[in-house]
Amino acid sequence: MANEEFEPLIIGFCCNWCSYAGADLAGVSRLQYPPNLRIVRVMCSGMVHPNLVIDALTKGADGVIICGCHLGDCHYLDGNVKAENRKEAIELMLEDFGVEPERFRLEWISASEGPRFAKVIREMTESVRALGPSPYRA
Amino acid sequence: MAIKVAEEWLNICGGCEVTILDIGEPLLDLLGELNFVHMPVLMDHKYFGQMGEKDEMEIPEADVGIISGGVRTEKEKKVAEVMRKQCKTLIALGSCACYGGIPAMANMYPLEALYEKVFRGSKTTDSAETPSENLPPLLEKVLGVDEVVPVDVYIPGCPTNPDIIVKAITCLLEGKEFKLEERSVCDECPVKREKKAAGGQIKRTLESVEFDQSQPWENTRCFMEQGFLCLGPVTLAGCGNKEGNGDGVTVPRCIKGNMPCRGCFGPIRKGANPLVDMMTAISSIGLDAKQVPDRRALLNRYIGAQNRLRPLPARPSR
Repeated sequence: MANEEFEPLIIGFCCNWCSYAGADLAGVSRLQYPPNLRIVRVMCSGMVHPNLVIDALTKGADGVIICGCHLGDCHYLDGNVKAENRKEAIELMLEDFGVEPERFRLEWISASEGPRFAKVIREMTESVRALGPSPYRA
Repeated sequence: MAIKVAEEWLNICGGCEVTILDIGEPLLDLLGELNFVHMPVLMDHKYFGQMGEKDEMEIPEADVGIISGGVRTEKEKKVAEVMRKQCKTLIALGSCACYGGIPAMANMYPLEALYEKVFRGSKTTDSAETPSENLPPLLEKVLGVDEVVPVDVYIPGCPTNPDIIVKAITCLLEGKEFKLEERSVCDECPVKREKKAAGGQIKRTLESVEFDQSQPWENTRCFMEQGFLCLGPVTLAGCGNKEGNGDGVTVPRCIKGNMPCRGCFGPIRKGANPLVDMMTAISSIGLDAKQVPDRRALLNRYIGAQNRLRPLPARPSR
């Protein structure tokens, strides 16, 4: 597959209280961002088990982004702290599975940051597009 | 009437056969019910007739087939297939048969790289061609038995617990199904847990675990919380026996020897990924996941088959 035709598939886990609302705001504000993102709404970034990230990346996704509330803003007080603690374990495992570290991102996006959401997704899509398809993609 | 049993060893050290012997006294009662018709470790039965005159591999028909060892060569693959055809029920005995076992750590490298290292790359060996004459060719990777033929009963462990073999065979004699309960080693481990590591550092097992043998188990702190890498959270339970005369607490075998669990019973359920689960467990109790040495091999030590260990995908040069 030539790189020009390659359209990355990115899975985004967005927390219900901030980032999903942020994505919503980007939508209702008619901000443009690439359609490569598939959003999965979760109650909290702290509930995204590393299993989900690794499974996604080894079973066909080209990138995974977890979006949560800014530290201190979590609806459940410290869910995003848990997500951040797991970030390092996830990055180590990417190495174990031979997946480039750029394919995974953890970002804090609040409900009012629609433009920032669009910008982060644009950046993420471009960096994954530059990497090419995931090594696990058949 | 005695049921016919065929036993076959494939890519294995022979420890699981010793475990059958290790059943001890209950074996004497069982033997009356069993008639071993084929067992290379005990008797000299040729696959192609006594003089090698037959064309087809021959293993006598049996009610129960026991296979220990994973599948590494073309010959072992063929043996597994014939065993499946000749046996009504097939048991995978030991971690090698169930998940590839220790030999499956070779699955981290492509076959060519292994040949290169063993026959030409090692400093202490004279370079030689890869031997091919009179040897069955190796498969590309080490397989669990169930990757070649369907398996009815799994008895993992390296080596396994003699009591489970007795239970499995008794179940089969009574016509019942045998399956280990989907519980983790931690679920049956009696030590004291506080859900938080004592310090962030991971210790090596040569530093001794803190314990007091005169105290009951409830007073020993969880080994993982003491900072040792214990694979209990992601490993199937079943290795432990009840202490005393069968009325005490169940203690997993390695824990009983004051060593952390090494994970030989394999994943708790099919499709689980102990590497990922363990890394999560390590970071959530507050140990530093970076300090785990050789993560892939260590956390997949006995379970490299079924694609859990594979050569890393080649990265495009950037």
